[in-house]
Amino acid sequence: MGRKARMRIIVGLVAVLALAGGLATAQSSSDYYAGKTVTLILPNSPSGQMTQYARMIAPYIAKHLGAKDVRVQNMQGGGGVVGANYLWHVKPDGMTIAFTSVPALVLAQLSGSQGVEFDATKFVYLGRAATEARVLVVGGKSKIQTIQDVENLGRPFIFPTQGTDEDFYTMAVLAYALNFDLKAVTGYQGNADTTLAVIKGEGDGHITAWHSSLAGIQAGDLRPILTIGDAREAGYPDVPTAVEVTQGNGKELVQAIVNMITMHRSFFGPPGMPEAAVSAMRSAVWAALHDPGLLADAQKQGLIIVPMQGAEEQPKVEQIAAAGQQIVPILKKAVAAIQ
Amino acid sequence: MISAAVTGLLALFTPQSILFMIVGVIYGLVIGVLPGLGGIVAMALVLPFTFGFEPAAALALLLGAHAATVWGGSITGILFNVPGAAKTITSVFDGYPMTQRGEGARALGASAMAALLGGVIGAVFLVATIPIVRPLMLALGPSEYFMMALWGLTIIATFSEGSVIKGLIAAGLGILVAFIGMDPVTGTARYTFHSLFLLDGISFPVAMIGLFAVSQMLKLFVKGGTVVEAQVDTEVSTVWDGVRDTFEHWWLVLRSSLLGLWIGVLPGVGASVGGIAAYAQAAQTSKHPERFGHGAVEGVIGPDATLAATEGGGLLPTLAFGIPGGESMAILLAAFINMGITPGPQMLTSNLSLVFTMVWIIVISNILTTVIGLMTSKTLARSATLPARYLVPVVLAVCFMGAFATHGRVGDVVVAAIFGVVGYIMDKYNYSRADFVIGMVLATMIERDLHISLTLYGPTFIFTRPVTLAMFLFIVFTTLLPIVRRRLARARASAAEGSGPDGGAA
Repeated sequence: MGRKARMRIIVGLVAVLALAGGLATAQSSSDYYAGKTVTLILPNSPSGQMTQYARMIAPYIAKHLGAKDVRVQNMQGGGGVVGANYLWHVKPDGMTIAFTSVPALVLAQLSGSQGVEFDATKFVYLGRAATEARVLVVGGKSKIQTIQDVENLGRPFIFPTQGTDEDFYTMAVLAYALNFDLKAVTGYQGNADTTLAVIKGEGDGHITAWHSSLAGIQAGDLRPILTIGDAREAGYPDVPTAVEVTQGNGKELVQAIVNMITMHRSFFGPPGMPEAAVSAMRSAVWAALHDPGLLADAQKQGLIIVPMQGAEEQPKVEQIAAAGQQIVPILKKAVAAIQ
Repeated sequence: MISAAVTGLLALFTPQSILFMIVGVIYGLVIGVLPGLGGIVAMALVLPFTFGFEPAAALALLLGAHAATVWGGSITGILFNVPGAAKTITSVFDGYPMTQRGEGARALGASAMAALLGGVIGAVFLVATIPIVRPLMLALGPSEYFMMALWGLTIIATFSEGSVIKGLIAAGLGILVAFIGMDPVTGTARYTFHSLFLLDGISFPVAMIGLFAVSQMLKLFVKGGTVVEAQVDTEVSTVWDGVRDTFEHWWLVLRSSLLGLWIGVLPGVGASVGGIAAYAQAAQTSKHPERFGHGAVEGVIGPDATLAATEGGGLLPTLAFGIPGGESMAILLAAFINMGITPGPQMLTSNLSLVFTMVWIIVISNILTTVIGLMTSKTLARSATLPARYLVPVVLAVCFMGAFATHGRVGDVVVAAIFGVVGYIMDKYNYSRADFVIGMVLATMIERDLHISLTLYGPTFIFTRPVTLAMFLFIVFTTLLPIVRRRLARARASAAEGSGPDGGAA
């Protein structure tokens, strides 16, 4: 048998298996969604990466639900609050769900942002599509080599930032947990602007997704000192995680922030969704995120897929809410410091 | 390096790349013409279609579309006072008065030619400045951006003739409108009245559609007739007049293009600020600054050359530091990752031919845009002579669709309508709408960068940072220069008057 022929047989087998798998899930996921149209609310801009993810995944959810269609609808505004409010008030029949950055919503709620009508812990979480650890980087020429150097800086750590975003709040909790002075300089225009400020030494360091800083780290312009995620980053085993370097009460708070960050790109529905809809949707999202077709698409578009079960997410949110009471004063204080 | 340049060019000579570039340019022109939609939208919409194609073809589509939006956005600004994108706002300052005078074709020709030269000069200097861009970027910071915004402010004087107070009121109004929404420094809600819609602020492109386009259509509807003023029956100029103008002002083109390259390099300076800084530069270095705002061809040439040159400049932060300079570069980054290329300084060593491919795409797509532009300008300019009863409904419908399309919110249509009325009133009572725009664009930049400078360098930052001080002195100099010139001219005139009976004419 030639290599080509063998390849063809393997491909054929895989296709049959995939098809069988697809049929199996379609049958198991009850008939709740059969022939229905689901609306997927995106509280983000149509040109962003969140939309890229949603548009890529939506057809696969439809396939595994047995639904007619999963329609993506962008509803941007108020830093995600407009779309989340809409979902909070929508009829909870399971025909409308949402997909966005969970930490952004939770933090908007905890920090008392204007217009928040929802309680992020009461949403029904349906599964996570992706998450990426974040990293605290300092300038390549900076004297700061490790996170201990930040604690012993003897002056405030200058943190250039766009404003009160997730990274700003993360930094505020880190400063509290590690007990160092933080001087947040707000007003920068996006990641490129703050990165340049850190490289120049105008600021000491900032937080980004790992992939946004990789080029700078490899070129020696930036130095990673702390991973904000579940585990140390592959390829950078010497960079400790935030949970490792904190103790006691501070550790709990940092853990809550890390939990929040790891929920990143998730699907969720309104409170009071029928049990049948929740279980059908959770298994369809899970199956979609493991669909070989989707994985191939994701690789083609350079998007990572790191699934988590919706049922596993739900208690995490409650944990965040419990720690939230302690985090709120820290956030309020950090915001007051820049006003 | 030369071999990389040749390889980079050859990569584009595949049927697929050529086709993609032509499609990209035509598509970019259409997106540019639609009010409110610009280069970022153009790239975001085609990004999914580029997955799986070879790098040269994918980049030809993306960059070609992006480059073409610049001139596309100028077309409607020049002909109907409808700025096609936020960054081409300056095209309404002088381009539209030219059309009213019956010189629409000339303005379009000048705009297209300036965009071509700007794009080419930007691309050539992009290659030349690669070695020095790192130190340059490291030398400039928020305090220098702040100075640049201040320089932009000095242009208020140009539009305030008759009444400086009215000019300042208009600019102040613009600043107030810019303050609506989330404050960029402290995250406090300002003038939002607990409305989530207002929390996002008044969208700049939407306000521009209202202020210029909708108000102009109102005026046209009230007045009747055509865009081209009644006393000029038809077009009195040709496209080639505009082309000739551009070459006559070669020094302005060169300066504007270099400014554009620089603006593109700085991640903290947006393209709409860049357009206004370019206009300030053209007006302040002109021998006849008083003509600006009344249809000075330099007012069209300068900004268009600058905007075209920012295309090349925008690539530099990515190449020097691996950080995307702006939103459009962030989209390019997604395309790079899909091609398996890690953007960053190593591109200059491992992927130099690809860098040259991008440079070539910018050059060739600019040439394509200009060729299309020169061929169509005459016909396009004729549309400005359409009677109001045909023009008004069509343009208004497109404007409101554009306002809706910017964020997909009905509220933006209402905002455009309100600003239409505001613009109409301002125009009627001689409050400069251009000053309003300048106030609105520069307010946020000044607020951000002044805050950062004060926090980082303390209250005396202007005098402790050498580059900032040099820029400050430059602003003082360029602001005083026209005043001194005018005084001198007046003194010379009165001296001449004293010496002979014919001397007073100067």
